[in-house]
Amino acid sequence: MINPVFFDAAVFASLLVLLSLGLTLTYLTTKVPNFAHASFATLGVYMTLIAVRVWETNPYIAVPIAFVMSGLVAIALYIFILKPLARRGATGSIQMIATLAFDMILIAGLNILADYLTDGFRIKSREFTLRSYDLEFMDLPMIVMIAPLAVAIIGIVLYLVLKKTKFGIAVRASTENPDLSGTVGINVNAVYGVAWMIAGGLAGIAGALMALWFLGDPNLGPLLIPSVFAASIAGGLTSIFGAVAGGLLVGLAEVLGTRFLAGEIGSWLIAYRPLIPLIIIAVTLLFVPNGLAGINWSKVRSKVWRR
Amino acid sequence: MASIDPAFIFLTDLIAIFSIYAIINLSLNLEFGYGGIPNFGKVLAVGAGAFVAASVPGRIIAAIANIEGDYIQNNLSVVAAADIWIVDNLGLTMVIFAFTFVIAALVGGGLGALTSYPALRLRGDYLAITLLAFGESIRIIGNNFPPLVGGTLGVQVPDPLSFVPDELRFPTASLILIVMAVVAYIYCEMTIRSPLGRSLRAVRDNEMASESLGKDTGRVRIKTIIVASALAAIAGALYAIYTGSTIAIAYDRGSWTFWPFLMILIGGLANNKGVLVGTLLFVTLRKVIIFFKDSFEWIVPFDVVWLDMLLLGSILLVVLLFRPQGVIVEKPTHTLGRRTKSKGIVRIFNLLFR
Repeated sequence: MINPVFFDAAVFASLLVLLSLGLTLTYLTTKVPNFAHASFATLGVYMTLIAVRVWETNPYIAVPIAFVMSGLVAIALYIFILKPLARRGATGSIQMIATLAFDMILIAGLNILADYLTDGFRIKSREFTLRSYDLEFMDLPMIVMIAPLAVAIIGIVLYLVLKKTKFGIAVRASTENPDLSGTVGINVNAVYGVAWMIAGGLAGIAGALMALWFLGDPNLGPLLIPSVFAASIAGGLTSIFGAVAGGLLVGLAEVLGTRFLAGEIGSWLIAYRPLIPLIIIAVTLLFVPNGLAGINWSKVRSKVWRR
Repeated sequence: MASIDPAFIFLTDLIAIFSIYAIINLSLNLEFGYGGIPNFGKVLAVGAGAFVAASVPGRIIAAIANIEGDYIQNNLSVVAAADIWIVDNLGLTMVIFAFTFVIAALVGGGLGALTSYPALRLRGDYLAITLLAFGESIRIIGNNFPPLVGGTLGVQVPDPLSFVPDELRFPTASLILIVMAVVAYIYCEMTIRSPLGRSLRAVRDNEMASESLGKDTGRVRIKTIIVASALAAIAGALYAIYTGSTIAIAYDRGSWTFWPFLMILIGGLANNKGVLVGTLLFVTLRKVIIFFKDSFEWIVPFDVVWLDMLLLGSILLVVLLFRPQGVIVEKPTHTLGRRTKSKGIVRIFNLLFR
């Protein structure tokens, strides 16, 4: 029998990869650190809850719905709040505060939704678990395989889209030089809008999947956001590969690292798990500000090789 | 005991909370408004001050008065005994609490020095994220390390006003707090009208130009952060003593980082009068919503707590989008005269209203 801590690690790391991919994509395009990003995932969690408990269908139906819903919320944040702010020349800090304010509204909305689900359908809508509603595959909960698989597929598709399609070239051009790409006929605003929609949608997928393994709650966003930022920052905030690597690093460090250290030192250590992403953020930004993607790996390799 | 008018309780509590937030917001305005340092870890200094107030004076009193029992494990009985001791030893109590504020300011200033390490090396949103991570850590440590403030159970704080009759306790506290807030306001006004204040703005507006004029931009930043953090720590200590208890979980980034930002943005950045206006608006709005919670209950089909969050979030977005300069706009400040013939009271009046 496989130790369940590995399931925790697999699902959590997949979740962080999906979330940090989105966060990196929005930071790459519009240079806004989006603090509402993790709450897009919470919206996905509630889509799964509704699919399973209200409609009583297959939980995986919620995945595409969550993609669309969270994507729409993200695009609304961009079009109605961040774009006008950027046009007025608001600084990064002000835009960051705006995303925090949006997060507050979103969390209030999710709480109202949770109240509505409890009152209207007699469903436990806070600190709920949906593990028992998951399907089984080879005597294992299906989510443990679906989550990493989804991450792999999404990662490859995103990579191909960014490298091989016209849209991908437009995205990369508008991040490199927005003015110049505007003059060659790329609709920069549309590109940014689509980037925000994809980012929100990926967060929605992450939420819809994690609902089948972790506890769901309207206030998940603020708990999750330090880990998401740690993952993106460890990855350098500028590269898709970095986001994947950072997500894996932080996810595994948080779950397996705490478990290992707790075994070595003492179980009191488990309570300090939330400090891990904070330490990763501080250390990365202060000492390796470009993250994993910024390290010149070929240089490192040649150094190691010579020895 | 005669029942106290609820409107009176409402007013005294409003004044107390307003004063505490005013001190925190003035310090944040010093950093963010005048200095351009996005201190998203404001909760770090506030929480540190509260933790000092929750752990230091109680232990000192217990040691002096020979109160039996562990301060954390038998917290209720120890603090109750300390409150009785305070009634008979007023002079010593005042000394102990003055000492507590000094420690809180020192701890706050020390954490400010720690905060200035990234503030000198990072800029803009990277700095903001790092400071956010710094601020978040205090709640996690306080929550999991019981000797500090009792972990998840929290601790009671001895009340230096326990000699005051019960019905006068909160009005007295509010009076003291508003005096403290006025002192903090005068202090901040004097700081920004001093050469340091002018260099601070210069550094914010054009770092390179001020450097070329011989200003040490790093030192100006460090000084500001240390002073502002010490001020915020004192406010945190005041809050812990005012409420009479401390629990780590209450020191979250929402209440002590995000709301202060909200208040100073509504009031107007780099503008101490605006800070007071923003604080008053915000605190009153929140109090009114909580006070009239029951009468709202059947108008909206959900819990009013969420209405509170919805409203505040929307107000901030509307302000950011449609009036980014806030209620009161930044103006050039009057400098402190080198040789003023006017009397002390006139000078304070000028500081407050000119």
